[in-house]
Amino acid sequence: MKNTLLSLNEATRTVNSGSNKVTLLDNINLNVEVGEFISLMGPSGSGKSTLLNCIGMLDHFTDGGYTFLGEPVHSMKEKNRSKLYKEYIGFVFQAYHLIDELTVYENIETPLLYKSVKSSERKAMVADMLDRFNIVGKKDLFPIQLSGGQQQLVGIARALIGKPKLILADEPTGNLNSKQSEEIMELFAQLNKEGVTIIQATHSESNAAYGSRIINLLDGKIV
Amino acid sequence: MILNYIKIAFRTLRKNKGYSFLNIFGLAIGITCASLIFLWVEDELSFNSEFDKQDQVYYVPTHQEYDGEWRTFNSTPGPFAEAMKTEIPGIVKASRTKHRDFLFAVNDNAINSGGRFVDADFIEIFSLKFVEGNAKDAFKNPEAIVITKETAEQLYGENTKVLGNVLTIDNKDQYLITGVIGNLPKNVTFPINWIAPFERWSGDKEWTNEYGSFFADTFVALSPEADFNAVDAQVRGLLEKKTGDSDSKAFLHSIKDWHLRDHFENGKQVGGRIDSVRLFTIIALIILLIACINFMNLSTARSEKRANEVGVRKAMGSGRTRLIFQFISEALILAFIATLVSVLLLFMLLPQFNLLIEKDLVLGLAKPLHMVFLLGITLVCGIFAGLYPAFYLSSFKPVEVLKGLKVTQGSANYIRKGLVVGQFTISIVFIICTILVYQQLQHIKNRDLGFDKNQLISLNVNGTMIEKFDVIKQDLIQTGAVSSVGLNNSGILNGGNNGSNLTWTGGTNTEDVLIFFRYVSSDFLETAGMEIVEGRGFYENMAKDSASVLITESFAKLMGQGSAIGKKIDRGDVYTVVGVVKDYLFDDMYGQSDPVMFFNYHGEASYMYLKTNPKIGTSDVLSKIEAVMKKHNPAFPFEYSFVDDAFNAKFKSEQLVGKLSQLFALLAILISCLGLFGLAAYTAEQRSKEIGVRKVLGASVAGIVKLLSKDFLKLVGLAIVIAIPMAWYVMDNWLGNYAYRIEINWWVFVIAGAVAIVIAMVTVSFQAVKAALANPVDSLKTE
Repeated sequence: MKNTLLSLNEATRTVNSGSNKVTLLDNINLNVEVGEFISLMGPSGSGKSTLLNCIGMLDHFTDGGYTFLGEPVHSMKEKNRSKLYKEYIGFVFQAYHLIDELTVYENIETPLLYKSVKSSERKAMVADMLDRFNIVGKKDLFPIQLSGGQQQLVGIARALIGKPKLILADEPTGNLNSKQSEEIMELFAQLNKEGVTIIQATHSESNAAYGSRIINLLDGKIV
Repeated sequence: MILNYIKIAFRTLRKNKGYSFLNIFGLAIGITCASLIFLWVEDELSFNSEFDKQDQVYYVPTHQEYDGEWRTFNSTPGPFAEAMKTEIPGIVKASRTKHRDFLFAVNDNAINSGGRFVDADFIEIFSLKFVEGNAKDAFKNPEAIVITKETAEQLYGENTKVLGNVLTIDNKDQYLITGVIGNLPKNVTFPINWIAPFERWSGDKEWTNEYGSFFADTFVALSPEADFNAVDAQVRGLLEKKTGDSDSKAFLHSIKDWHLRDHFENGKQVGGRIDSVRLFTIIALIILLIACINFMNLSTARSEKRANEVGVRKAMGSGRTRLIFQFISEALILAFIATLVSVLLLFMLLPQFNLLIEKDLVLGLAKPLHMVFLLGITLVCGIFAGLYPAFYLSSFKPVEVLKGLKVTQGSANYIRKGLVVGQFTISIVFIICTILVYQQLQHIKNRDLGFDKNQLISLNVNGTMIEKFDVIKQDLIQTGAVSSVGLNNSGILNGGNNGSNLTWTGGTNTEDVLIFFRYVSSDFLETAGMEIVEGRGFYENMAKDSASVLITESFAKLMGQGSAIGKKIDRGDVYTVVGVVKDYLFDDMYGQSDPVMFFNYHGEASYMYLKTNPKIGTSDVLSKIEAVMKKHNPAFPFEYSFVDDAFNAKFKSEQLVGKLSQLFALLAILISCLGLFGLAAYTAEQRSKEIGVRKVLGASVAGIVKLLSKDFLKLVGLAIVIAIPMAWYVMDNWLGNYAYRIEINWWVFVIAGAVAIVIAMVTVSFQAVKAALANPVDSLKTE
């Protein structure tokens, strides 16, 4: 039986650039079921990142409806929205975006701090995650001491630590070589098997192939 | 969470050593500076505060009217104290007092020690605590003396019972020690080392019982229930009631105002040291402000580096409040470190500062007040300095910063520039003030005094100096170290004796004019380097001049047209003017020369002046004089002072303002430069790509340095424009306090502006040159 995680109904995102109104996303209709692995594809500027950011609630649609787990995000207050994405969404970035001043351990721990998870519980969860990604030995290193692949691994670990229902990955392998890319994509596939819904934006056909569904964007429209 | 913030803060600190240093050091200087000032302010405010009856004790000065203007004097007639006590119900204690320096001698211990002859009430007015003896019996014996514990220890050594000992004073009078009181704190307006019954001094001096002689320092205590205004009104009326004259009004001056509010102008209280206290409190706050501005500037300038972290944290679920909290805690941690550094600086600098301001301040970190104060400063600075960066940084939108878009700097840029302009404005105002204060001081010190203060030594007259004056003079001149010796009944720089109600030929309303009297030996004028512009000086034989006087030019002017020689002055006895002396300044070095009348009489002289030979070294001169004095006046220790030192001491508060404004100008500039340095580094970094592109396209190093420096110089230029009218306003006000003052010259502003520009240029160009010399390949590759 299929379970709807989120649905977009004629979702639109426009920005004002000078006196021009530029449409970044144009009447997007999209249903994402729990357990899907969606690959967003399209050339630069087609709106992949914007769509991810809007779904991830870091950005917002200017028009149309957005329902997440049955709740209308578009009419929600900032505070509730932030609660919602803290709880259910994890981010993975192309440039990893680890905090340079924090160790691997502390980077992974950060989302838990914002969720006010108790210290003992945090320790267990982080240890678990380190274990699972085989990076226990690196837990006291700083991001700068890691390779790109390892940094992205930490980035994914951090995204997963809060047990999100949805992972949004914006070109997760864009800064990695092909071997590292493959490893990361394998990891995503593995996670997806374990039940995590994933939406990734990518340029690469081979990466897109890991997904269960491919959505092509062009000029802010699904084609 | 907090631990996490602290960890991050320290790692950020370590990672950006340069910025951290600028931040912490700048703030530490600010805090150190403010702490020094506040220590001084605390000391000033604490004067006389250790006496018990803060709300009841008053000093009684008098306003006296001369020529339609009220002057204020620290003296009252002898019988006035008793009259106030008996006739004004609210006054329960009253004491006449007279200050005297005593020479105490016990065996080989001889010390000069100031104290007062007082009425018995004095003990209760000041709640003096007896260590030996008791307050009730202390003054029963007319030959009693009560000394402080410190004096007792100096004379008899520690832990010696001294009650009942007989003390010989000035080598002739015997006093019986009837009590020892605890030491008075250092910060009191009227220090005493001993007290003795007033009658012992007044004795058979009839004039001390007359209302016509104003000579006593009078203190009173009000009853706790008394209404000050009612009592004060009665005190103001009492002199007239006694004498029938309405031109003298005594009034009550609260113990709480003695130190800070003791200036009177035309019968009104017009401040005093409280003005300096206020001024420096404001300066302390301004310096703290500059330091905080620095902090804000450097923090927001580094925003690019922190932006990514803000984005990630927001994406991880941090709300804005938490980020604000995080950044403020970081600022607090920095402020706390700065405070620790500044405590260290305080330990190092306090001795120097004490030397500078001639005080004995202690850091007293253990004092709760000081502790609370330092923590307070830390908190306020941390929060104040952290607030803007916190709000600014936490406002970044994660989507933008994570995409690597340039943070839109619009408003922050303006604020940052505004802050730099603010800092430099303050610095430039400080520079201008420093120059003008210095000029005014030099102006006043170089003023033609009408006498020559250099090579002039002053001795207090004691023992047999008057009787043996002729031989002493002869012997002194024979040493070759001294060229001339003169006696005077008052100090050459002091106001001294004066009176009115004189009449003279050629003058109108002469009764109202206050005339100053000087009783001098015949060669005093020559010794002091005063110039006789008309007529003759005094004869050596003072009997021949018993009806002759010399007057100063300003007095001669009051006698109308023509030569004053031969005109008569009636002061009970009639005197003939035989010479006119060039006007000279005394008492108020900023004011006009008041009219003076010289008499040829040195029987009651208090000061001996010696003009020394400039060709002989000072120590040589002094030892020669000492030998002569030891020979003729062996009972007294040889004590002297230089008139030019005493003259300089008259400008203590101005000198303090001068020295401190120099210090603060320097620090303000230093802190501002730290900030500018940081900002320049930031700009250079920000524009590294632009610089790279320009270099590839063929820009020269000089061109790029100019490009980077130009913007900053514009800011400094703006600061100059704002600072000039501000400084002009402040200094014109300050100079307005002085009758004899400089005019503000435009070139002062030019110099201050030039100094600011040069300093800013040096600071900025260091970074600009570094950026301009960088290899463009490096900066272009990173993108």
